[in-house]
Amino acid sequence: MQITGAEAAKILVNGLKDAGISLIATLPDVNMSDLLHEVEEAQDVIHVPLCREEEGMGICAGAYLVGKKCAAIMQNGGFFNSNNAIVSTLLQYQIPVLLLIYYAGDIGDRTFGTTGAMTEPVLQALGIRYYIMRDIDDAPELIKRAQILAEDSKKPIALLMTKELLGRRSALKSL
Amino acid sequence: MKRYDCLKILAAEINDALVVSSAGAMTLEWNSLHPGDGNFRVRTLGLCSSIALGMALGLPHRKVVALDGDGSLLMNLCSLPTIARMKPANLVHIVFDNEVYEASGSKKTATGAGTDLVGMACAAGIKNSQWAKTDDQFASAARAALRGSELCFIGAKVTTERTAVPPFPIDEVENKYRFMRYIEKSERIEIFKTNLPASYS
Repeated sequence: MQITGAEAAKILVNGLKDAGISLIATLPDVNMSDLLHEVEEAQDVIHVPLCREEEGMGICAGAYLVGKKCAAIMQNGGFFNSNNAIVSTLLQYQIPVLLLIYYAGDIGDRTFGTTGAMTEPVLQALGIRYYIMRDIDDAPELIKRAQILAEDSKKPIALLMTKELLGRRSALKSL
Repeated sequence: MKRYDCLKILAAEINDALVVSSAGAMTLEWNSLHPGDGNFRVRTLGLCSSIALGMALGLPHRKVVALDGDGSLLMNLCSLPTIARMKPANLVHIVFDNEVYEASGSKKTATGAGTDLVGMACAAGIKNSQWAKTDDQFASAARAALRGSELCFIGAKVTTERTAVPPFPIDEVENKYRFMRYIEKSERIEIFKTNLPASYS
């Protein structure tokens, strides 16, 4: 379904809230600007704007330890930045966090090809289960299921967000 | 100053504050002085202050103390502006600065070459940042921070001396469960919800 970025952002943030998420750590990417605006405006959610994604893994871990359900929203480059914390804190201590990762360099994207190429292999190498969200209609259900899986497996779970999902310009229009 | 003496002073003031301690010998010294399930040991160098920030944001009525080191904070300096931006009134960030990577072979850190972590905390926007230069200064700064309700950053220059203490007795996962069960009990909240198996419903 083709919708605007603002509409997609509302659906995604409501999906996170319905999944029980009450703390969201973020770092901007232009393709997520509507989404981050919606996070900023959200009631009943603690929003933590980060300077570097890795600190977000620590913040989410700390909040989880005192009873919060947490998500981090970042670009895949930021996911790479976070890897040491993901391994030696989230995986080592078995801490569930939802990782919402913008999939830069996805099929049809004209930039970040190398970043895109490494994204899924790195997730696989870390043993992090991931799902690609392309259709906004499926997103709330996927978010809820991913949170259940995270809590059940006591591990971070990644949801890759494509341009189409975020209501950004369709990649094919630039052909 | 000696780190162990500062920790002793802190242990007398800590009450039911949650304590997050950075990887290294400091964690062992702290746990020998103040054993308990409200202590969380960090394994990722640098993440101590971030984990403490997450706890402070998640439980705003509960004091949270980060016991950080210079090598650790230097690895995660962006934590300072993030803490300043979120400004949790219940967070006390203490950095024991011995100017070396103590757990990694005692090579000099940047603070040994003149970097001023309290100056950086101040510049990041944590107004209540100060150096404690004597045991007395540390005691009064720690007491004020723990009893007050304002975000505080305390730097303490300490020697590289270690005190012989027992090893940390539990692994990471047990540390997590004990800590979270302690939160459940002391905060009277349920974190781990147990679902009834489908065959019972």
